[in-house]
Amino acid sequence: MVTVEVVGEGTREIEPETLGADPTYADLVRAVDYSPHEVSVLVDDQPVPEDRAVDADHVRVLRLIKGG
Amino acid sequence: MDCDKCDDEAVMHAAYSGLHMCADHFCRSVESRTRRRVREDNLLPDDASPDDPETWLIGLSGGKDSVVLTQILHDTFAEDPRVELVALTIHEGIEGYRDESLAACRDLTEDLDVRHELVTYEEEFDLRMDDVAVEDPMDMAPCAYCGVFRRDLLSKYAAEYDADKLLTGHNLDDEAQTALMNFFEGDVEQMAKHFDASLGAFPGAADGGGDRDGTPVRVSTDGPFVPRAKPLRDVPEKEIALYAQLQDLPAHITECPHASEAYRGEIQQLLFDMEENHPGVRHSIMAGYEDLAAMAARAYRDGGGPEYGECERCGATTTRAVCRKCSLVEAVHAAD
Repeated sequence: MVTVEVVGEGTREIEPETLGADPTYADLVRAVDYSPHEVSVLVDDQPVPEDRAVDADHVRVLRLIKGG
Repeated sequence: MDCDKCDDEAVMHAAYSGLHMCADHFCRSVESRTRRRVREDNLLPDDASPDDPETWLIGLSGGKDSVVLTQILHDTFAEDPRVELVALTIHEGIEGYRDESLAACRDLTEDLDVRHELVTYEEEFDLRMDDVAVEDPMDMAPCAYCGVFRRDLLSKYAAEYDADKLLTGHNLDDEAQTALMNFFEGDVEQMAKHFDASLGAFPGAADGGGDRDGTPVRVSTDGPFVPRAKPLRDVPEKEIALYAQLQDLPAHITECPHASEAYRGEIQQLLFDMEENHPGVRHSIMAGYEDLAAMAARAYRDGGGPEYGECERCGATTTRAVCRKCSLVEAVHAAD
């Protein structure tokens, strides 16, 4: 089970196995309805490449901020 | 997962190039692309000198893009006596939002010792965006009013500070969105304007004003407006956010409560989907669009530009009797 915290929006629990074999962080991002091109993924507050296989149980997702 | 350039841990993957990069190589890459764009677009003319330096006005909103732009320009040019940097921040009057971003602007410019100027809609136009958004006399999105007001002030103060160029933090996503919007709307004239106003490279001294090595250059058709440039336009938005984070830059993270550009939002989502399935789409859109816009610009220039006069009310350059900004300000106050 992976906890995905979308900063400012809330937290969801995702079962990696439901995303297929060898899911990546990009798969996690899509599972919470974002494109990998509009967020940064942090593991232990360090950015990780989206194509890395999921190897953490807590992930923070930072959205891009829109200006006025 | 390691950096492709060294053995450190990778922090990002650029799908369009296939590269994985560590924090250090990634940041160097963003800086290199920005400097290359400054060089390729010939922002610093050959005749700039310590005796007659270029003044570049940076539109600094406090958001990640303009903060990153200001930082990189400072790192590149702070010791260069041919360039003077001035950061201009515009306070729109959005409760709780612009006050935070203003703090980020002050923190940054104080850290860097860059000259910083602040102007407000309240002082300039006697209005605040929170009120405009409620009144909405022209039935437009708040961004439509705000964009007109902001561009007017950027131009006005660029002229006031005698700036040679106005630099903004538009990124690859912003430009690709604009390119597709112009294309989908079939607005070829707008493409031409886009090229001559901000997209095309500046002519170099050796060019005799003509196209250089086959690279089209812009021709100023904006009358007396200060020319604009976008040094970050090769860098994807997400990479700018990552750069700001890795460099611990004081970019504010509050979202504008009035942000809502439905059509642009649709284009943005389309580009996310395309880029995910076909990495490099944004780059190829911009490469093709730049050529297309250059051709359009060449075609439209032959017809001559619009006739510029002065607004009857504020004296700003305009093609109308009263400029668009004054019309909007009047409409807002009529709705008070």
